[in-house]
Amino acid sequence: MKSEWTPAKGFVVAGLVALLCGALFGVIGSWQHVIPGVVDAIPFVKSRPLHVSLVIAWIFLTAVGGVYHYLPKIVGAPLHSTRLAWLHLAIFIGTGMAIMASYFMGRFGGREYWEFPPVLGIPIAASWLLFIYNFFLTANKHKGPWPAYLWMWATGIVFFLITFAEANLYLFPHFTGNMVRELTVQWKAYGALTGSWNMLVYGTAMVVMERASGNTAIARSKTAFLLFGLGFTNLLFGWAHHIYPVPSALWIRVLAYAISMTEWIILARMIQQWRSTLEEGKQGQGSMTGRFLFASEIWVFLNLGLALLISVPAINLFTHGTHITVAHAMGSTIGINTTILFASVFFISGASITKNLRMGFWLFNGSLLLFWLCLVGAGMVKGYYTVLSDLHFQVIMERIRPFIVGFAISGVGLFVGLSMLVWDGIQALLNLPNSLEDLAAHHAIDTELPRSPASVNGRAVHQGSSTTARP
Amino acid sequence: MSFRDEVQVGSKDPSGFGVHRLRFVYFGLIGLFIAQSGLTYTTGTEVPKESALLSEQARRGEALYREFNCTACHQFYGLGGYMGPDLTNVISTEGKGPVYAKAFILHGSGRMPALGVRDEQADDLVAFLEAVAATGTYPVRNMDLTAWGTYREMHTDEE
Repeated sequence: MKSEWTPAKGFVVAGLVALLCGALFGVIGSWQHVIPGVVDAIPFVKSRPLHVSLVIAWIFLTAVGGVYHYLPKIVGAPLHSTRLAWLHLAIFIGTGMAIMASYFMGRFGGREYWEFPPVLGIPIAASWLLFIYNFFLTANKHKGPWPAYLWMWATGIVFFLITFAEANLYLFPHFTGNMVRELTVQWKAYGALTGSWNMLVYGTAMVVMERASGNTAIARSKTAFLLFGLGFTNLLFGWAHHIYPVPSALWIRVLAYAISMTEWIILARMIQQWRSTLEEGKQGQGSMTGRFLFASEIWVFLNLGLALLISVPAINLFTHGTHITVAHAMGSTIGINTTILFASVFFISGASITKNLRMGFWLFNGSLLLFWLCLVGAGMVKGYYTVLSDLHFQVIMERIRPFIVGFAISGVGLFVGLSMLVWDGIQALLNLPNSLEDLAAHHAIDTELPRSPASVNGRAVHQGSSTTARP
Repeated sequence: MSFRDEVQVGSKDPSGFGVHRLRFVYFGLIGLFIAQSGLTYTTGTEVPKESALLSEQARRGEALYREFNCTACHQFYGLGGYMGPDLTNVISTEGKGPVYAKAFILHGSGRMPALGVRDEQADDLVAFLEAVAATGTYPVRNMDLTAWGTYREMHTDEE
């Protein structure tokens, strides 16, 4: 068996490396909250953007790698242009290195999430155009109506570019001269941006479930399309739950409130189906993919519940601007997006369960739960004192200190767990055989899926939600 | 609640929606999104008073705010980092104000590093913070909740 590099493998390996580096800077940043001045060479003003950008890079690189990997198998034809995919990867990595260098040199764009100088957004947008071109010319070879995941990927890919452009509108005086407009448009873009990467990640989840189970009906069911529509509507109109306190027009926030509440449908459906979810979870214990998909279901449930609660303005009054928002953001990006992407990584690599992976899995999930609970606790205390008392900021921070220490300690556990998973993930990918014959011998990745009977429970499509990953 | 799945694998449109209807709904939503964006960029985000608009000096201050990546630690309206306090009303809060803010900018304190800016740059940053303070109040402390889960004045703090 020979192992060759493909663009998909390059994206996924780069994504895993970005995750490990991003988690390391996250650990540094969390301890800088506990011990001021620790790791002085990388102050918090640098460690935070390094952490955030690298973790976002992990999500995009691995999701895009998954699209490049699965798309030819779905449409039954090769990628339109492998060369363009390589070029896409080269621009992404080159720009990523330039962004890291700019942070280390203290050159910032100073925007939440995109803290790099705006000029570095140009190559990102250019490479994304290559991706759009390659995706649509390949996807158009699909015979018959698109399954829901192709719609999700197409939506995610196009809306990333739209929202990325929108996030840069601040460069025009019409937007910067008015801070209400600037903040509103900024978070409008970010809300839709996370919605767009969720479309990529949840589309991948659906593909992995389909290919792992051989059940092609799920992604073609009415349920799948209804939940995709719900997620899409939230992507387009649900963003203003981030900015209830910003004094924009009332209709903007009321509309977002109404749209956000539609996601109770998804939560109700999860509760209704919890028994079959548990049953399928037990069946999936034999593979890392199954384990991660089951873990993602639990994280979707927890984070969707939290997201729905903090989307109610009367509750948001207390939780906004507190660590509960961080719990939501990290719970979604780590708990949901990362677990789904690990499911995809281990499906692509075909890694079998090892002691190291089993330990990594439990350490990752256990630490994340503690991490998440500490943030929720810190947020509750901070929200209470911020709204109902006149205590000084530093006094409030002192009161939440035990939670922040717990958060920092569990962050170390999370990093160790992630390292174990990333190490084995990269090892398995580097040993991944490349030809179809080798693949068939390596593990049962099907190129021609069996047409299963129409027994659908729709479990795979819970992840159509956009509320579940706000920034 | 339950969905009825009508799946006929192998048919032209197993979802049962109809491709044309699906496209109509999809692009209709995008049309509404464009309309909503237009309103958000204009009338939906107008500020009530002139002082809330950024002057030339305040714009220079905003550029510095970005250059020093202040958002890593600070927030406006609860949006931003968590290391330092929210700065929305640092200028208008009793006991604080322009002199207080300028002292922090020039000399730092505790976890906040001195930015190493010139005196006139500190003035630019203060002008920026003054404009932000004129846009409204945060945190909202009006507890006048409604049965709908909203609060009556979702962005003011009028007593």
